[in-house]
Amino acid sequence: MYKKLPLLLIIGVLLFALPSLLFALTADEIIGEMDRLSTFETTYSIGSIQTTDRFGTKTSQFKSWSQGKKDSLIEFTSKAERGQKILRTEGSLYLFYPDAEQLIRMQGAALRQSMLGSDISYEDMTEEKNTLDNYTAKLEREETFKGRECYVLTLTAKTRSVAYPIQKIWVDKQTYLVWKAEYSTAQGRLLKVMEVLDTFNSGNRVLPKQSKIEDKMKKNSSTLMTVDSFEANPKLDRSIFTLENLTW
Amino acid sequence: MVGKKKLSIFILVVLITLSSLIAAENPTVTMNLLPTLTYKAHTDSWGALFNGDLSVALSSKQEENTRGEVVLKANTLIPITKLDDVLYKAYFKARFPSFRLTGGKTRLSWGDGMLFNAGDVLYGSNDISVSLTQAELRSTTDWLASVNYPLGFFSFAEVVFMAPETYKPRDTFFGARFYTVIKEIKVEGGYATMQKSGGRLHKPYFSLQGNLGFDWYLSSSLAIPEDGDIIKESSESWIISGGFFHLVTLPADMSLTLRLELLTRPFGQWETGPVSDSNAPLLLYPELVFAYSPSLSFILRSIISPLDLSAMSIVGVNWNVFEAFNLAGSISLATGDDEDLFAWSSSKTDSSSFSATIGSSWIF
Repeated sequence: MYKKLPLLLIIGVLLFALPSLLFALTADEIIGEMDRLSTFETTYSIGSIQTTDRFGTKTSQFKSWSQGKKDSLIEFTSKAERGQKILRTEGSLYLFYPDAEQLIRMQGAALRQSMLGSDISYEDMTEEKNTLDNYTAKLEREETFKGRECYVLTLTAKTRSVAYPIQKIWVDKQTYLVWKAEYSTAQGRLLKVMEVLDTFNSGNRVLPKQSKIEDKMKKNSSTLMTVDSFEANPKLDRSIFTLENLTW
Repeated sequence: MVGKKKLSIFILVVLITLSSLIAAENPTVTMNLLPTLTYKAHTDSWGALFNGDLSVALSSKQEENTRGEVVLKANTLIPITKLDDVLYKAYFKARFPSFRLTGGKTRLSWGDGMLFNAGDVLYGSNDISVSLTQAELRSTTDWLASVNYPLGFFSFAEVVFMAPETYKPRDTFFGARFYTVIKEIKVEGGYATMQKSGGRLHKPYFSLQGNLGFDWYLSSSLAIPEDGDIIKESSESWIISGGFFHLVTLPADMSLTLRLELLTRPFGQWETGPVSDSNAPLLLYPELVFAYSPSLSFILRSIISPLDLSAMSIVGVNWNVFEAFNLAGSISLATGDDEDLFAWSSSKTDSSSFSATIGSSWIF
């Protein structure tokens, strides 16, 4: 009987552990699902960016349209920057300044410039949702964050063309919402932290309603990005994501 | 007769302005209040100026197929002699199924370059009579009608007619350009023709923009006359402008942006010694912006004439204190001998040897 005990134990462990091993998601599958659930055929949203520093709070309102993983257009509607637009499509980013009727194509380091003095860069704002094209994902562990069971993953950049060489993200095990993200340099120096403060439901998907972004290189500065209204899969003309519409 | 014509134009503009005001979403007021102390070495005299700049923008509601804007602008240092001096912009845009029509007084930005832009054949961006204290160095507007025809998602053709200053139809200004992106490089080319005092000029141009780790841009244009010594005048009019721009991210959220532009006239007077604005063979425009934080930046701008070793430079600071409210200060200095392009003792009435400005700007 005692001789058979180890064998029984192994069989028992296998019986309990095998299903979870068989059905456990890989890091790539988690990221794939995360991207899938945060990507819509088309979206239209209205929101604001609130930047707070020691002199007070600055608010910029915007309207935003997106299509699939790569196309997005943002138009600012607040007074100081009314009519300024950002178009990201096919990997290129264009700015339009209505006062000067000027069309500017942004490339390289210029993409990392702070947008309207906030903690968000142009690249952050118009981020493409094809994570696995640019990053290698590794599942570190599972942990509870804000009362939610999360996967904790580390993303390491495959190319130098991305803004953040290393990302550590907390992905909700049920909804695949990214509750928290830490963005670092290749040497591991923390650059920015994003945390979701509030969420909303769009169909069966959970999306961030309010996110707080802190640039860790700044003192006493944070940016709140709020989505005031959101429409999933509205009928959008492809011409929205063109230079013609950008300069309209 | 002339009085009646002026009155009619005045009433028309007032009606346009009022109708815009009624339909406008929210007027936007931009106010720059910049008291300036100047010193003119030529007359050994100090001056105190109140450089106040006010603009009121009335934008139409954002309709899907029509929009427009009226911008009234005035500066305390610029006398207003006619309505056009105040009417900075007054235009409409109408979007048709296959093209877009723009009409009125506005600006079209052709080519690339912040100060020097050989591709700007519409207004000309190759002179040095600019204020380096302004955020936007070139902002000329004019009465025009243009048609923009999309040729794909990132390509378009544009045709423009501009009103002649002489009011004679044969002097009408005409231009056209083509804009596209080929393998990560923006390619733009076009042509404009206009009547000048010496006769009609034909101005072809091209402009390229790309990235090689830093942003670069290059433009070139010619002004070919119809009469006279066509080859000599064309070659003398040939201008090439180019520049690069790079942003260096520094620790603690600081950044340094570097811009260097040049303008060259290959057939200009390549001789050391005094040069004039219109035939300077080589001009440089370096710009350094050190952003201590996104709201506080220090600026160094300079226009340099390497052949006579003279320069006009400014050092400035800009602090975005509150939402749409900035405090700014700058010092400008001309460094050159008497006959140089940027002479310390310049006799030009509109130039000062030294000036110091401190003030604020507010958008509400």
